[in-house]
Amino acid sequence: MAKQGFLKSALAGVGLLRKANAPDFPGIDDPDPERQGQALFRRGRYRMRAGGIEAAVKDFDRAIELLPDYAEARASRAECLDMLGHAEAARPDYAEARRLWAAERTGAPDRSYIWRQQGRLTFEIESYELALERIKTGSYPHSAVGNALMAHGRPAEALKAYERALKIKDKDPALLALKGEALSAMGRYRSAVDAFSASLKAVPRAPEVLSGRAVAYAALGRIDKANVDWRRQLAALPEHQPAARACVALRLGAWAEALPELERAIGKSPDDPYWRLYRLTALKRLDRPFDPVEVPPGGWPAPLFALHAGKATAETVLAAATTEGRRVEALFQLERFKEVVEIAPPSMIEYAAARNQLGR
Amino acid sequence: MFSVIIYGRNDTHGYNLHKRAAISFNALAEVMSDPDDEILFVDYNTPDDHPTFPEAIADTLTDKARQHMRILRVRPEQHVHLKSRTHLVALESQSRNVALRRSNPRNRWILYTNTDMLLVPRTEGESLSEILGALPDGFYQIPRFEIPEMLWEAAFDRKDAAGNLAKLRDWSVRFHLNQVVHNFMPMKYDALGDFQAVLREDMFAVHGFDESMILGWHCDSNLAARMALYRGRVDTLMDKAFGYHCDHTRVAAANNKGRKTTMNSHDKYIWNVSSPYIPEQAETWGWPDARIEELRLDRDTAYERYVAGLSQAIEPATVPFTNTSVEWHLFDDLTYDLRHTLPFVCDQVLTYPKSTSILVAGCRADFIRRFAAAWRGMGFTGPVLVPQEVGLAVDDPAIRGGRFGDLLKRADLFMFEFGLTTQKIDDPVRVGREETLADRRQLKTVERLFRRAASTEGETRPKGRQTPRRLIGINVIFNKYWPVFTDYVGANINPFCAQVLAGIPLAEPVTMKEKVILKFKKKAG
Repeated sequence: MAKQGFLKSALAGVGLLRKANAPDFPGIDDPDPERQGQALFRRGRYRMRAGGIEAAVKDFDRAIELLPDYAEARASRAECLDMLGHAEAARPDYAEARRLWAAERTGAPDRSYIWRQQGRLTFEIESYELALERIKTGSYPHSAVGNALMAHGRPAEALKAYERALKIKDKDPALLALKGEALSAMGRYRSAVDAFSASLKAVPRAPEVLSGRAVAYAALGRIDKANVDWRRQLAALPEHQPAARACVALRLGAWAEALPELERAIGKSPDDPYWRLYRLTALKRLDRPFDPVEVPPGGWPAPLFALHAGKATAETVLAAATTEGRRVEALFQLERFKEVVEIAPPSMIEYAAARNQLGR
Repeated sequence: MFSVIIYGRNDTHGYNLHKRAAISFNALAEVMSDPDDEILFVDYNTPDDHPTFPEAIADTLTDKARQHMRILRVRPEQHVHLKSRTHLVALESQSRNVALRRSNPRNRWILYTNTDMLLVPRTEGESLSEILGALPDGFYQIPRFEIPEMLWEAAFDRKDAAGNLAKLRDWSVRFHLNQVVHNFMPMKYDALGDFQAVLREDMFAVHGFDESMILGWHCDSNLAARMALYRGRVDTLMDKAFGYHCDHTRVAAANNKGRKTTMNSHDKYIWNVSSPYIPEQAETWGWPDARIEELRLDRDTAYERYVAGLSQAIEPATVPFTNTSVEWHLFDDLTYDLRHTLPFVCDQVLTYPKSTSILVAGCRADFIRRFAAAWRGMGFTGPVLVPQEVGLAVDDPAIRGGRFGDLLKRADLFMFEFGLTTQKIDDPVRVGREETLADRRQLKTVERLFRRAASTEGETRPKGRQTPRRLIGINVIFNKYWPVFTDYVGANINPFCAQVLAGIPLAEPVTMKEKVILKFKKKAG
């Protein structure tokens, strides 16, 4: 992991070091836009801290050109423009950064919080690595870096970060649960179950840890054990988290239990189309009537609503499902449960729901 | 849209607290534009006989601040279980969680700040409600800028909130106030606790502030560490608002002892945080089962209750003034003007919970009758307990009779009145009246009950109660009952005119005789 960005920028005030150890930024000439964009971001932050605000703006400009959805670069450019006295020019960047972060769909609310993080988190990773240069006896920066790596889809590196944290805070139940998530994401489900179990030994009613172990059990083919954990999770989740409760009930295929929770979730987040979609699913599974379906504007998951409204065919819906996740969602709504189980990642709601449906 | 959560107590936390806080409350209200917005002030551990801090400075608050403020009063009795574990008299995590639990559920945001902050939207005319209303979900901070002590003290008009915000816009440029102090992640900025905007839902999910942090400091950093885990990121709101802090370091606050300051562990609560959640307090944070009194500054105020109570008990005076005297030859005259005394008596009880049970033992039936009427009029719902041993037949819906020994165990507060049972309301006062046999008998009874109550207070407390109960003495100044009362009760020296003394029982009753002996011993030694 690159340490040069913030560490050296922090030391930039020390004149000698500033001249002697000019940092390099791996990837700055990389043809891959993602790598080059992130390197430019790191250099921009370094320049910002060293007082080179205008040069930093240029780096952020270029990073945004390469990666238009790079919210961190927009936020940093905004801060630079603001510092230079161009508050008006900064405003759209601040707003766009927030819009980009908010537009990312986060993980299911019944899963570990680490699956609900948005953005590239480049700034965070570098900041925590800087903290690590000073904080030798703290597990926090290690676990925070691990979480950011998980959000990046790099569980193997995250696992190393969690293990470093566990060396400092041995047998900590929260860290063991994070380790379990990393192992699960790497497909090492048996080890994941062990890590989650060790965590649950200390805190038996931790809802997200129960969820992690349930997913790992389901992936190992032990849906019975998974269901036991999901049941325990549902019992442990407080009433004020209807969305999380709904997700667990959906995984269990407990449609009647899911329905009221989904209705409360819609009340809390009326703009989230998935709660309305899952509500339709539950009503359909329960053979209950529902009002005419309103198809929301925009892209996915609108085709799934169109399907329920009788305005789309299976073929058009599957054609619109351009990612693996969307295909799983489409197959599930088409009630092709066998195919769902074959291709879905075990962490998806549809996977467990299909498994439970097939088991009946 | 948002609930501001702040806390404190009616004491002297740092230099010129009253002005700082009034400036801050008024400025916070000034940037509110949604009717659901609220300023939740947790008044933590103010002594029961004091009003809460916002009540004490209510006259310096704007109408808008008074309308938006809800005061949640945590009594000393509710804090006592933590007293032995901390040197602090006001606890941040407990206060903030008590407020969070009771915050308006319609509000999406919780804003944690302190009683010396002014928030200035960067776009003039924009409110913080509008700013927060347009924000996506997240965890937001802003940097804190300092205002030199002289500036806020000398130039701010407490009630001119808009003018103060305008001054800050000017000063920030003129005096170069706006310096962002960056900090290690997850803190993002220095002094981060002065602006942390969090989703109410997120705060419930992570179980509030960590209530094991009872030594002061770093509660804000702990929250930042946990929220940074939970959300992955700490966002800035610097483009929308600036936050200014009324510097108050001329006099160190109680939690600031320089290098000797006791603090919560930095390592434990920041660098070794491993989860956003605190499962060990998942069910108990914010004391969900505790009955927390709520007070308002815009309705049912202490003054309104006081007036309502006294209007039930006394009529306005018909003469310009009345007379009494402290001349020596009147020392044994126990007559007093009940209508004059009752306002001072009511003043002693008004700050107690409405559910308080008060034991009243007195010599004058008219005193008990009028006090009971005032008690009801002030909105108290607890009973006035009158021991049957007193032998006065007084009828009032608030009064409950019973054996003194039983009532002792039910009372939250005691009142003993030493007047002449034969005195009528219009009898002359302090003109050299002597006690009758009936007066003497009645006084003896009340004195006996008083001595028993005071000397057994610790053993007779209601079940579960830990803090000592207060005793109020009526007509115990400049007469023979002053030494009797002060032998048992740690009371101040009060003006004769008020007729009232009050305090908690002394650990060891001290007789005047013993005091004299000690004095001579000291001199001899």
